[in-house]
Amino acid sequence: MRLTDASVAIRPRSPWEALDLGVLLARRHAGLLLASWALVTVPLFALLCLLLWDYPGWAIFTFWWLKPAYERLPLHILARALFGDTPSLGQALKALPGLLGPQLLASLSWRRFSPTRSFDLPVLQLEGLSGQARRQRLVVLSQRDAGAATWLTVVGVHLEMALWLGLASLFYLLLPAQIALDWSWQNLVNAAAGEWLWLEHLFNLLYVLALILWEPFYVACGFTLYLNRRTALEGWDIELVFRQLRQRLTGVAYALLLGCGLLLLQTPTATMAAESGSSPLQVADPMGPEAARLLKQPLSSQAAQDSIGQLLEQPPFEHRETVTRWRFGEQQVEEPSEEQLAGLLELLEKLFKLAEFWNSIDAVALFFEALLWAALLGLAALLIWRYRQWLGAFVGRLGLAQRAAAPPTRQLFGLEVAPESLPADVAGTVERLWAEQPRAALGLLYRALLSRLLDDYRLPLHGAHTEREVLRLVEGLEHSELSSFSQALTLHWQNLAYGHRLPPDELRQTLCQDWRRLFDSGVRT
Amino acid sequence: MPHSATPPSPRAPGASVQPPAAPLDTRYRVETPEAIDLLLRPAGLVPRALAFAIDLLIRGLLLLAIYVVLGLLGKFGMGLATILLFLLTWWYMVLFEVFNQGRSPGKQILGLRVVHDDGTPVGWAASLTRNLLRFVDILPFGYTLGILSCLNHPAFKRLGDIAAGTLVVYRDTPPARPSLPQAEALHAPFALDLLEQRALLAFAERGASLSAERRAELAAILAEPLQVPAEQAEQRLNGIARGLLGPT
Repeated sequence: MRLTDASVAIRPRSPWEALDLGVLLARRHAGLLLASWALVTVPLFALLCLLLWDYPGWAIFTFWWLKPAYERLPLHILARALFGDTPSLGQALKALPGLLGPQLLASLSWRRFSPTRSFDLPVLQLEGLSGQARRQRLVVLSQRDAGAATWLTVVGVHLEMALWLGLASLFYLLLPAQIALDWSWQNLVNAAAGEWLWLEHLFNLLYVLALILWEPFYVACGFTLYLNRRTALEGWDIELVFRQLRQRLTGVAYALLLGCGLLLLQTPTATMAAESGSSPLQVADPMGPEAARLLKQPLSSQAAQDSIGQLLEQPPFEHRETVTRWRFGEQQVEEPSEEQLAGLLELLEKLFKLAEFWNSIDAVALFFEALLWAALLGLAALLIWRYRQWLGAFVGRLGLAQRAAAPPTRQLFGLEVAPESLPADVAGTVERLWAEQPRAALGLLYRALLSRLLDDYRLPLHGAHTEREVLRLVEGLEHSELSSFSQALTLHWQNLAYGHRLPPDELRQTLCQDWRRLFDSGVRT
Repeated sequence: MPHSATPPSPRAPGASVQPPAAPLDTRYRVETPEAIDLLLRPAGLVPRALAFAIDLLIRGLLLLAIYVVLGLLGKFGMGLATILLFLLTWWYMVLFEVFNQGRSPGKQILGLRVVHDDGTPVGWAASLTRNLLRFVDILPFGYTLGILSCLNHPAFKRLGDIAAGTLVVYRDTPPARPSLPQAEALHAPFALDLLEQRALLAFAERGASLSAERRAELAAILAEPLQVPAEQAEQRLNGIARGLLGPT
């Protein structure tokens, strides 16, 4: 056992920390530990199941009772791995029969229920003591840290249960719903009847699996607790540093001795003196501080520079970051050399062949393209057909290009011009009103004119137009009779409305006749 | 002995053969911006499970008392008890962790505390996250995922700790005053680095817990460099340790 080879940091720890170190140790060798444990326990469990098929409770009880026997294998692996001599899986399994010999009966009988089982096991298995010596040793070791070992066992029992129930729940959660429905609690209670033996064995197997996960950690924690106790008891950490110190000091002494000897052996010669005397300039260092110095010791300037460089290339001095982004591929511009040209030609040939192949594929592709387009069009047609009523009901109303017609003007300069507000026989009414109410008569006639202009001639009149603008619009119709009638009527209407000058009496006849000729006969038939 | 940084041992680059793997240790190193290494000691599954059990027990007893007392008040009491149940379930850990330096009563008894990954005191967000995610760790039954995560993580984190970026560490307790055996203070005849000075001091301090034979055996290792016979080495080492300690 050489402490310098230990693969864990040796220092006195608190008992809890020693347990944590055990977790780390088991974690480092997890693969080997779990695999070896599984290879030992699972076949044994299978054997027990076969032998005690009708008594699953006894099978798991026997398996559980034999736990200290399996625990020797992980301890063997860990003890060798601690000093860097990790055995392979095969070596470990081969060593198992030899491990079982000593103290097996004690482990399986009166030590079986010892709460410090994992803490005591290294003493039994690794120290090879016997009788009184072993007993004293156990007493000395358990003066401290035995409490932590007990708690480890107590927590371990609960962890086993938690893992077992966890695995069982997981198993139950993963059952398909159809199977789970068929299981009633009644059936599970009646499991002892024999029908459900395989289920009990299955749950026992889950316990075996849970042990595979936990037990190596348990053994490793007990082992590191033992190591911690011995570190405190025997000053392992002190011994380690003392040995290094001794090596450093005696090593330096030897080196000094050797250096002095070499120096003395080398007698000064004439050439040495001559060189140094004749050309002192050459001694001057051309490279200054960059030159290699301190060459006679292990830490030369060059080596120091190297290690400085190494340090500077590591974090936190060096911060490298890899950023991955998508970007367009750049066209690779290559200068074609002759060999490349040949290769290029070959490549082109292949490309042509590929293109031909593609052409042949093109037909297939075209077919599928057509098929897909046809499918798409068919789908669209189907959709339109399916929703034709909806379309008919709503799309027409949407009225894409139809502008809603502006409501016809109903009033111009405060005059009602809607056709309904006019009497059917405008000219007759005017003639009747002319004598008593010339204002009403002329107003009626003007209103009727505007109404007709709006309705029959579709003049775009609106409330902002003045009488003169209306006249101009009428002239735009190129209808001379209408325009002269309008002019005359407007003139007299304006005279009456604004100037309060009554129209001449003979005008009545003219206007009414013109009106009849223009509207009652010609246009409105 | 206070846990502080160990200086990198000077090593000749020619002889810098890296060991296959760094020695396993339970310490967790955090470097501050001032280039000071803080050494945290993450706590593993067993003490954490015990702390949780204690907390669970306390909560159970509290709930029992609450239900017995408030049960006398009829429906109103039951409603109040239900509210308290909610508070106790979801806020017990959070409030203790935030207001009591990361220590729930169970952690206090076991000497643990919760800190952020960088060693700073745990805050509301991290504490809430790690405690709400207990319901992930519990799955599928009885903290199965939490146990597996705790066993498999180098800093013993359960899933809630990983998500919240927190760490359960051992509290540093102030070290007891060491008592050194009486000896005449001496200067060391050779230069000692920090690690070696510590080992010499530890030899003197822990002498009482080592057997006399073991002390002599350890001291004999350094007899040759000290240039004394092996029998006097122990006395000489104690003297050097006292010299290192200085006047007290």
